[in-house]
Amino acid sequence: MTSDNPDEPLPYTEITDETYAKNAARDFTVTELAYGTLALRGPCPRCRAFIEIPVVSSIFRSSRSIGSWARSRAPKSGEAAHKEPMMCTCGDDHPGRPEDRSGCGAYWALVITPPAR
Amino acid sequence: MTYQLGAADLATEADLRAVQERERLLTAELPRVREAATAWRNGLGGLLAALVGFSLIKGRSDISQLAGSWAVWVGILLLAALVAGAAGALLLIRAANGRPAVVPASELLSRNTADHIEAVTAAGALRRGIALTLGCAALLVAAVGATWYGPGRDKPVLQVTVPGGTVCGSVVALANGNLTLDTTAGQVTTKLAEASAVQPLTSCPQAGT
Repeated sequence: MTSDNPDEPLPYTEITDETYAKNAARDFTVTELAYGTLALRGPCPRCRAFIEIPVVSSIFRSSRSIGSWARSRAPKSGEAAHKEPMMCTCGDDHPGRPEDRSGCGAYWALVITPPAR
Repeated sequence: MTYQLGAADLATEADLRAVQERERLLTAELPRVREAATAWRNGLGGLLAALVGFSLIKGRSDISQLAGSWAVWVGILLLAALVAGAAGALLLIRAANGRPAVVPASELLSRNTADHIEAVTAAGALRRGIALTLGCAALLVAAVGATWYGPGRDKPVLQVTVPGGTVCGSVVALANGNLTLDTTAGQVTTKLAEASAVQPLTSCPQAGT
């Protein structure tokens, strides 16, 4: 999915491909920032922009958290491997991108396996 | 001992929508925490102000009028309330405004990641601040209640030394040079002109001491 003109930015397109997950699994690094919060860093498999994707276990909402929403996706040390969908979150210019969206539109899913403790 | 990444099955559009929703929630997470903390800070501040105002309405307001041990316990309650209130206020301010920290450039994170970590920390501070402030209010109520309804300090007594011995008790009357004291043996009247010593005491010495 590249543009004919290398100087022209990729248009925003919500798209996935089997190679996206494979490339992300190979290129991304994982850092545990705090309990229940990971940062996945690496190049977007589509636009190649360097991105950082937070993987969290809970999100604050008003007087209660929505941990149950996020826990099914978020890893915690010692928990079993699980699927984590993600998308490009780059701030680069991608023509056609809606105002409330970010990235180039590429999305994929990884399996995150916590270290054995 | 690191996390391992592997390719999952092909992502679906539902996965994309879920990720977009998570992104949206993460972007607005920190402002939501700040907004909630500001509301709690203002509300609890009003509650404490109302409590202080209520305690001034009536009732005993000087712990020096309380019996000794009660005055000590009220002092402890007030000190605990002060500590809890100060800590609670600081935590609420921290949750509403953040911590003035300088982060090394090498540790900079993306905005969403940094905001999420700050939001989780601020939410924890908010919860602890609420608990401490409500604890402060409870301690204040207990202190005011004890001050109102606790037993008062004993009245001062006089010990008068007369030729026949010593008489100790609270003053009932003083007329025509005669002093009437309320003693443990009942009311006793002595002539002040015959007294060789008059000593004010906080309480009469026990018999036999």
